[in-house]
Amino acid sequence: MDVQYEQDAGEIKRLQRCINDLVCLLALPALWSGGDISQVLDTLLNTLMRMLRLDLVSVRLNLSVVETPIEIVRVAQSFGPMPPAHEICEALNHSLGDNSPKWPPLLRNLMGDGEVSMVPLPLGLQGELGVIIAAAQRAGFPQQTEALLLNVAASQACIGLQEARLRSQQKCIADELDRRVARRTAELTAANAELQLQVGLLQRLPVSAWTLKPDGTPDFVNRVWLEYSGQTLDFVRSRPDAWISAVHPEDRETASRSFWEGVRSGQGFAMETRFLRARDGTYRWHLNQAVVLRDAEGKVLKFVGTTTDIDDQKRAEEKLRRSEAFLAEGQRLGQIGSYCWRPATDEITWSAELYRIYELEIGMPVTLELIRSRVHPDDVTLIEKMKLVDQAREGSHDFEWRYRLLMPDQSIKYMHAVAHSTRDQNGQSEYMASVQDVTARRLAEEARDKAQSELASVARVMSLGALTASIAHEVNQPLSGIITNASTCLRMLGADPPQVEGARETARRTIRDGNRMSEVIARLRALFSKKEPTTESVNLNDAVLEVIALSILELQKNRVVLCPELADDLPLITGDRVQLQQVILNLLRNGSDAMCTVEDRPRQLVIRTERDNGDRVRLTVQDAGIGFDPQAADRLFDAFYTTKCDGMGIGLSVSRSIIERHHGRLWATLNEGPGAAFSFSIPRTPAGLAHADGIRNIQAPAVTGSAAA
Amino acid sequence: MSCGVLPRRSAIDRILVSVVDDDESVRESLPDLLQQFGFAARAFSSAEEFLASGCIDQTRCLLLDVAMPGMTGPDLQQELIRRRKTIPTIFITADVGMTVRQRLIEQGAVECLFKPFSDTVLLDAVNSALRPK
Repeated sequence: MDVQYEQDAGEIKRLQRCINDLVCLLALPALWSGGDISQVLDTLLNTLMRMLRLDLVSVRLNLSVVETPIEIVRVAQSFGPMPPAHEICEALNHSLGDNSPKWPPLLRNLMGDGEVSMVPLPLGLQGELGVIIAAAQRAGFPQQTEALLLNVAASQACIGLQEARLRSQQKCIADELDRRVARRTAELTAANAELQLQVGLLQRLPVSAWTLKPDGTPDFVNRVWLEYSGQTLDFVRSRPDAWISAVHPEDRETASRSFWEGVRSGQGFAMETRFLRARDGTYRWHLNQAVVLRDAEGKVLKFVGTTTDIDDQKRAEEKLRRSEAFLAEGQRLGQIGSYCWRPATDEITWSAELYRIYELEIGMPVTLELIRSRVHPDDVTLIEKMKLVDQAREGSHDFEWRYRLLMPDQSIKYMHAVAHSTRDQNGQSEYMASVQDVTARRLAEEARDKAQSELASVARVMSLGALTASIAHEVNQPLSGIITNASTCLRMLGADPPQVEGARETARRTIRDGNRMSEVIARLRALFSKKEPTTESVNLNDAVLEVIALSILELQKNRVVLCPELADDLPLITGDRVQLQQVILNLLRNGSDAMCTVEDRPRQLVIRTERDNGDRVRLTVQDAGIGFDPQAADRLFDAFYTTKCDGMGIGLSVSRSIIERHHGRLWATLNEGPGAAFSFSIPRTPAGLAHADGIRNIQAPAVTGSAAA
Repeated sequence: MSCGVLPRRSAIDRILVSVVDDDESVRESLPDLLQQFGFAARAFSSAEEFLASGCIDQTRCLLLDVAMPGMTGPDLQQELIRRRKTIPTIFITADVGMTVRQRLIEQGAVECLFKPFSDTVLLDAVNSALRPK
């Protein structure tokens, strides 16, 4: 009975212990909560080892649980270095198949050779999680209770592992989530910072920037606009066209029209308006530009635009336009064209007025050929000369020249050009020139010259009264001779007997006097006829003698003692004979008149011709009269200056202009004794008088060395 | 008034008319005409020549030019007056105005004729000069 009691008591203790162990095992999950897989395994293996006095326990978890299979082996006692866990597990698996499993050869050295009992405990419903192997080297292992404990442990392990796995998965997910959130946050922060920067830029742009909703209502408007216009953001946003209140009243209509057209058509717009600046109440020109943004389907998303202050440019443009118009008008009024010529490339640019002067279509490309087609053939060589001259020189020189154009209708235009040589920024030679159509002036000059010479020849060297007197005087003498002789003739023929011889003589005298008269008339006509100024070779001495012949009677009447001193070697001169004779006649008359009150000395009138310096010829008329007031010396030659009571005062002024047209000069000096001397000096062949309408000289400055224009 | 032809007289008893003029054609033509009138005529080229001629006393009528180089016509008239040799004087001139003519007549000239003048005008003037006052 005691033995049974002892056996029963032992059994009860064993069972109690088993229940205690079970409770312990059942409490494991609570222990494991919050832990990870390795904790779970750790506790489990230790618990099993201890609880069941195992010699070896191993666990292998499959990939379904963890990323890398976990294999752990624990032995009751350390027997020295152990082979790697996965080899042991594999060997153990092998041994499980044997009927009488022994330690795998791998462990035999460590664990002994005896019989081993191994219990595999699959984890998971079909062992998909892994396997725990519990091994003990004692007989009867596992006993019932031990087997129960092992199974419970295994299922608890499952639970724990599942939970751990879930937790770890959750943690992973949470970590991943955190990581993603962090990254996103960083991205967003960066993006936000970027955006802030951009918005800041937008606000700081020197232009007004804004966006419009598809219906035209502004949504973003930068600070620049608000500060400029003084409008508030709310105000601007209140209506699509609220901003128009800042537009100049005159521009509102067009601004509104452009705006609405642009918005409604979805094209955007570009327009210039004047905006009121709130700060000082001035209006300034601005350029408003909007471009459209569309979404993926092509619908209008937004309008994005800027308003740029272009006031300064606009004013500059306006000034430029006005100055250009001013210049063009000036050119038009003065009939002055201008051009720029680059000798190196023959690049020529003309102003509009120059095209008009040349009667060419404005904007036609200008070439030397084109110019040649218009320039008078006689003057074309000028252009060639210019080029040659330019090539021969290095420095900058200015040109002035006159030339003619021959128009398609054969009319002639006179041109006066002035060119200034400069260098452009590359050092290339460049000519800027002004060309004026001086045809009107030239024609006026010619008309004036003609009128002057008409004046000289008609009026001209004396007054009309004196002219009549002079003519009367010249013809009177022969005329009275004629009448007297004719009367005598009649009487002689009427005598009884008729005095034929006497009659014949008187008739002869009559004819002679008649001839003399016609000579005088002819001379007078020549002297006072209207003639175009002609140029011819003139023998000044002969011309003087003719004038003397014409006026000798009158001079003698006035008791003038004429003393001609005509040089023998006087060269021929080129000029207008009649005009020069008028001058000589004027000087002789003046000299004679100056002496009309002289009584105490001979009324000596010297007329002298001689060579003068520089291939010139000089004529002097010197009287012994009353002279002139030295103070009035420069007025002597003025038109209408006269000291004679019946003088017209045009004699000397006309004479001077005649001499000047001969490129000479006329002057007066007082004698040492009484009286004055009037002299003129003219060149033999004045330059430019070679042909009537020719080119005046090109005033090209002297070239050192090479032959110039 | 009188007709152009006078009865022939001998050279000796023809009345002497003297012409003083520096113009050659006058000296050439006038004497012939005067002779046709029946006068004797002599011509002098200057006042000085006449004064030196010795014909002063015989000259019954003087035809005198006004403007002459040297002594003028009026000068000669004054000189003759000074010499108390008043001769009836007819001035012949080409170029004086009416005022001068008036003055000459006031100063004693019988007449002042403007060239060119017709023969009858001359004759009338000479006859006028010779008519006893």
